[in-house]
Amino acid sequence: MDTVPAPRAVGEMRAGDHLLLGYEADEERETVVAAFLLDGLASGHRGLVLGPADLPADLALTFLESRGCAVDDELAAGRLSVDPHLATPDGLWDLDEVIRRETRRAVGDGYLGLRVSMEIMRGQAGKGLKTLHDSELLLEPVFASLPVLGICQYDRRVFDEGELAPLDGLHHGRVAADLVWHDELLSITRTFAPPGLALAGEVDDTNVTALARALHAETARARARPVNGVRTRIDLRDLRFIDVGALRLLVFAGGALSASGGTLVLHGVAPHIQRLMRVTGWDRVPGLVVEQSDL
Amino acid sequence: MSRTRFVHQALCYGSDDEFLDGTLTFARDGLDAGDTVLAVVASHNIGLLDEALGDRSEEVEFVDANDWYGSPSRTLGRYNAYCAAHYTDATGRPRGIRVIGEPVWSDRTALEVREWMRYESLLNIAFAGTGHWILCPYDTRALPVGIIRSAVRTHPELALGPRQSAHCGRYVDPADFYAECDTTRPPVLPAGRDDVPFARGRSAHVRRAVSAYARGLGVSEQLTHDIVTAVHETVVNSVRHGGGRGVLRLRSDSEYVICEISDPGTPAAPSAPPPPPQFPGHLPPDPSAANGHGMWVVRQLSDLATQTLDPTGSVVRLYFGRSAVL
Repeated sequence: MDTVPAPRAVGEMRAGDHLLLGYEADEERETVVAAFLLDGLASGHRGLVLGPADLPADLALTFLESRGCAVDDELAAGRLSVDPHLATPDGLWDLDEVIRRETRRAVGDGYLGLRVSMEIMRGQAGKGLKTLHDSELLLEPVFASLPVLGICQYDRRVFDEGELAPLDGLHHGRVAADLVWHDELLSITRTFAPPGLALAGEVDDTNVTALARALHAETARARARPVNGVRTRIDLRDLRFIDVGALRLLVFAGGALSASGGTLVLHGVAPHIQRLMRVTGWDRVPGLVVEQSDL
Repeated sequence: MSRTRFVHQALCYGSDDEFLDGTLTFARDGLDAGDTVLAVVASHNIGLLDEALGDRSEEVEFVDANDWYGSPSRTLGRYNAYCAAHYTDATGRPRGIRVIGEPVWSDRTALEVREWMRYESLLNIAFAGTGHWILCPYDTRALPVGIIRSAVRTHPELALGPRQSAHCGRYVDPADFYAECDTTRPPVLPAGRDDVPFARGRSAHVRRAVSAYARGLGVSEQLTHDIVTAVHETVVNSVRHGGGRGVLRLRSDSEYVICEISDPGTPAAPSAPPPPPQFPGHLPPDPSAANGHGMWVVRQLSDLATQTLDPTGSVVRLYFGRSAVL
């Protein structure tokens, strides 16, 4: 039913891209927008955040601080700025004008371009989202002509997929977090709702260390999350092969989580992988739960 | 009569009465002691024991031997899983396990018979340290004398009748028996057009090749997965311990898909290489162990596996029944 094209990784964006981010968790929005803005700093772009509320700039950007960005320095230097324009009731009306002006200003200040992140508020979308549609439509010529990249952020807990689908046509596609790992056999992506990793392809002796790294980082994030009971979910629906050494790593990670009261949940485990887990006794080890697929 | 250490007895019987003499009291004593009693025997013997047990019969779990003794390593794995699931009762209290296990010997090739003999001997290692009691009936009317002779070498005790047993003077240490099983080895397969050379970092290439070969034979999806995994694990082992490269040879006949993985070893090792592990892949590994699961998986997924592990060149041959019913 869903024929949405595969989303573009945020790290693959280039000038002129105007992408839609439909996020289901704050961590997803922060991960994508942080990568977008930090890539901008690396690329000689100014970063502009049009936030949902009139917050002090350093407060609006705390999510960058935890990712190694010296936010105060960047704000003081003007490489990052925060504008409450979208927090005003009529913020969407002249959004195209704001971005056109800000892009020209950034170029005038010596930057190679502007990266703008826009949080779209339901309250301003207008009846039947009319104001929103018109606004997105007016943005198109700005992105087509100026050195600007933009992400329109839609909270999927507020906008349902039926509302987002028509908006796809007003963007150049959707954006998602960067791949954690990609080689000719395996790709590892982060998932956010529920939080964890998705593995696609094959894990064997050549790329098991990439899985180890990704798991280690993911379980560290899980431990830092303020929820009861650490749960990290690994989505294996698109995993065709995993060898014994890599499966042992998952068992080890589950054991380590279990020692601190946590769980590693394996989702969508193919029958032949379940069989491997039965044979090794790894279907009955502490900290590892095989979640029955909803298929 | 109850015993606390592992007991493995052969019961050589020549009549229905002798079968019942050896098994009926054994089963009843087990039930009286609150043990789990499992009888995996020939269908005719299920009937005998079932009738003799009368209304206690339903307390015994019966399985037709033909449905249980599929391949030696898998059967050992199955007993291991069964014991792990039954060694405590519903309230978590320890409980004895008694098994009457009558292996199937008819319609076996010489190779299969040898591996089933090895299996009987390996039970002494696999269950050492448990309190399980396994009684193995051997039908002297039907079995060749060579199989009966092996039974007295692979069982430390002979069951002689109700609650009667004798130490078996001809019992052979499992390590020695294991070595004896390997004195005759099949010659290495000659080079063929389906040969797949492999080296470190090339396991994906091997998986593609073996998967294509299996599909070409029209074997089931499940069996293809098993073959791919077993060959992959063997190849990874071979690369790790065998000098970093080797060759996979693929064959098939009406009964088996045969995969032979060989490597040239590391003859120029600066120091004496560690000896290969004892009973590689034959014994159930601890789930939390740091290694040892690979060869166990290989043996659980294949129907037969022969292996010559040697620092100067190893050969592992895996047999997969083409119509395997699992």
